[in-house]
Amino acid sequence: MLSEIFVEPFVDMVSAPDFLMQVLWEGLVSGILYALIALGFVLIYRSSRIFNFAQGIMVVFAALTLVGLHEAGVPAWISVVLTLGVMFALAFTVERVVLRPLVGQPDIILFMATIGITLFLIGFGEIIFGGENKVMITEQLGIPTDSVVFEPFGGLLILEQKDITAAAIAALLVVGLLLFLNKTRMGRAIRALGDDHQAAMSVGISLQTIWVLVWFIAGIIALVTGIAWGARAGVSFALEVIAYKALPVLMLGGLESISGAIVGGLMIGMLEKLFEIYWGQPLLGGNTETWFAFMLALVVLLFRPQGLFGERIIERV
Amino acid sequence: MFYRTAGQFKTSYTADQALFPVRQDAVLLIVILAFAWIVFPLTASEFAFQTLLIPILIYSLAALGLNILTGYAGQLSLGTGAFMGVGAYACYKMVTLMPWMNPIVAILLSGVFSAGIGVVFGIPSLRIKGFYLAIATLAAQFFLVWLFEKWAWLYNYNASGAIQVPNLDMFGVYVSGPQATSFTQYYVVLAIVSLLTWICINLTRGRPGRTWKATRDMDIAAELIGIDLMRSKLTAFAVSSYIVGVAGALFVFMWRGAAEPNLFDIPLSFRILFIAIIGGLGSVLGNYLGAILIVGLPVVLGILPEALGLEITSATVEHLNVMIVGGLIIFFLIIEPHGLAQLWRLIREKLIIWPFPH
Amino acid sequence: MNVHVQEDMSRHILRADDGIAKGEDLLKVENISLSFGGVKAITDISFDIKKGEIRAIIGPNGAGKTSMLNVINGFYFPQEGTITFRGEKRRRARPSETARDGIARTFQNIALFKGMSTLDNIMTGRITLQKRNLLWHALWKGPAEREEIEHREAVERIIDFLEIEHIRKTPVGRLPYGLQKRVELGRALAAEPALLLLDEPMAGMNLEEKADMSRFILDVNQQYGTTIALIEHDMGVVMDLSDRVVVLDYGKKIGDGTPDEVRNNPDVIDAYLGVPH
Repeated sequence: MLSEIFVEPFVDMVSAPDFLMQVLWEGLVSGILYALIALGFVLIYRSSRIFNFAQGIMVVFAALTLVGLHEAGVPAWISVVLTLGVMFALAFTVERVVLRPLVGQPDIILFMATIGITLFLIGFGEIIFGGENKVMITEQLGIPTDSVVFEPFGGLLILEQKDITAAAIAALLVVGLLLFLNKTRMGRAIRALGDDHQAAMSVGISLQTIWVLVWFIAGIIALVTGIAWGARAGVSFALEVIAYKALPVLMLGGLESISGAIVGGLMIGMLEKLFEIYWGQPLLGGNTETWFAFMLALVVLLFRPQGLFGERIIERV
Repeated sequence: MFYRTAGQFKTSYTADQALFPVRQDAVLLIVILAFAWIVFPLTASEFAFQTLLIPILIYSLAALGLNILTGYAGQLSLGTGAFMGVGAYACYKMVTLMPWMNPIVAILLSGVFSAGIGVVFGIPSLRIKGFYLAIATLAAQFFLVWLFEKWAWLYNYNASGAIQVPNLDMFGVYVSGPQATSFTQYYVVLAIVSLLTWICINLTRGRPGRTWKATRDMDIAAELIGIDLMRSKLTAFAVSSYIVGVAGALFVFMWRGAAEPNLFDIPLSFRILFIAIIGGLGSVLGNYLGAILIVGLPVVLGILPEALGLEITSATVEHLNVMIVGGLIIFFLIIEPHGLAQLWRLIREKLIIWPFPH
Repeated sequence: MNVHVQEDMSRHILRADDGIAKGEDLLKVENISLSFGGVKAITDISFDIKKGEIRAIIGPNGAGKTSMLNVINGFYFPQEGTITFRGEKRRRARPSETARDGIARTFQNIALFKGMSTLDNIMTGRITLQKRNLLWHALWKGPAEREEIEHREAVERIIDFLEIEHIRKTPVGRLPYGLQKRVELGRALAAEPALLLLDEPMAGMNLEEKADMSRFILDVNQQYGTTIALIEHDMGVVMDLSDRVVVLDYGKKIGDGTPDEVRNNPDVIDAYLGVPH
């Protein structure tokens, strides 16, 4: 029994290195998508201390809007632009209707408000778009759909080009975001807001503008995530549940760290795939990806309550 | 005029700390109890039992359990559904392994199992706080639902993976299974819910309640006045999970009649959370009010289109229900974050001075 | 003041069974050093607090006074040095244990439980004295209720003493600052402590409130016999109320003695005037 747990999986890994690489690649791609969702969370949390539970449904909503517009006859790239407009309108509405009346309330109230937003968008989305699975307009957007085949170690490694594209776009997005936050005036304002609301307001930074902007950026991230994920798995409300995976990423990476979100996402993506293939399926009956990431994050937090990247919390009285 | 409290003086601390120091409140409660125990069961239709009366009671109990943990002790939990499942499966195993056991005893014992597991998953709360803890409770949620599916012993190796409630009787009367009447089941549920509610009222108005509220409001100060945070939090997890587990057993045995693992998934957890939030965190009454709203809303929405002569599919009604609940949550959080219970308190205060404006 | 109340007070010389007579060391702080990461908050401080006295801890901002109080309270554990309380050396323990040993405190920024009323807040102070466990409370009638009433009576005596009867059922979040500070004092008193730590009890108060608070502090000391250590910035209050004073600056002790001795200490004068040394 012990050897089944501690020895055989590693033997399996080493004896078929091309398969191992395939597993790691699949995990990496999932990880990138988790990281993107976590990024949206981090952005909103840093600037407003709101834990935006609705980030997941925003991904679905963005993807559905895109596909819906295209189905209605709008050309692919114009659909993208229009969807961005919809996400902006969403950001604006959320700020107006939900955030502004709740300024100053405790964090848990704001968190629950985002749960309310999630529900609302689910119901609303189902009515407008219908509940059937849809196909992402991958080709129409110009994303290549072939595979690239490698033959490492005499074996077989197949990388889907849409995954490679997703990875590349995600990387560009992250770089762009970091540049924005660090080099532009708006970006600095966002970071200032995250540190201290009152101080930021007192130097003339408008809370409302920043919040709309931040939620809009989160919306852009949601759209990119929706396209990337929809291309892999189809577009449906099931996507919303996958967004839960971003939560252990946040536990590991800390709620405030962009690099934490990225590293955490990649780690979780790869580790959960590894566990499922080499331990979950042979030993536990499979389907462990529903809970592995959470358990992993839980264990890490027990030893480091601030996550892998967070700052040590010193209690003051 | 109705709620005139003038003239009602308390001359001892015992009287002051009584459950209903104001006479009108006691009268109101007696009226409600009369309806619950006598009027409703004698006049309700099968539809009313199955879609309103029984589920409202069961959801109230589950929300009460969650409220103890999240509303009173301040530990946010998103895993309520899974713990209901633990209670349900524990009860199932007990009645199938020990068919001689009194069904009500089995139901009350099943809470012990969920309490135990609740304490285990509550241990991280000693190191982890706030949102991180909420995410940790999701670990319990996802893991347990996976377990319900994979551990075939739990459902007696049944090929469908589901559990069916057997016919169980007590003193010759069937209380569960296809042979039990809604009438009987309603009384069983009412009795258990009343008992546990009474216990929770006692706990929350005394030292345990204060300890939990102190842990919630300012745990550092709580520790510095001598509260053992570990005991406080783990007790909250234990009591809360016990109640939620019993609610889970009632959920399956007294209402649904059967269960599959995905019954206890995230949507159930969130449903209970909404009831607790909309009803009012940190209150006992709120759970009932919230349950009435959340259980009653889809029923009303189902009847309304016919009454208004509109043509809406039942799927759309379902989606509208979801939208409205989401909207209601936001609405309540803006208007009255302390929920329906607080609204009731405000109405009551107005009634006390009515018809005078101040 | 109410004569009836005064008599009740004198029957409450509490926790007198620790064998320490008035005038002997109740708390001894020896060579305490405390740092956070690279920042040294307290360097090698020693002093004592005698039973029955009012000891003031003063010093310019940032001198380490609250940190010192936190160490005495058991909230921080010093890297070096020992604390001896009631004749016993303190081992590393959770803060809730020092509370059980008989130390209670108030906080610089009020740390009341905002979700509860005045009465409930002060009742939480009795927690270390309540014995009946969860199962009795689940039943309520019987031993649990009797215990609640018993402690309610004790708390009502404190409420009388602090003259806050009119706000006993009010949620503390709605109270003005001065009253909140009084409620916090009540909560600390409810624990019947041997040593009461007050962190800037007069901060933010007007003249009248300060007079009231001073009166309460003196009454607590004289009628309950409680030993008090307080941090305070108002020199007038310090000179009038305290028996002895410890002066801190930059984490070090620069003065220790009666108010008059300390007032004339050149180092202390320099510290307050800001003369670098």
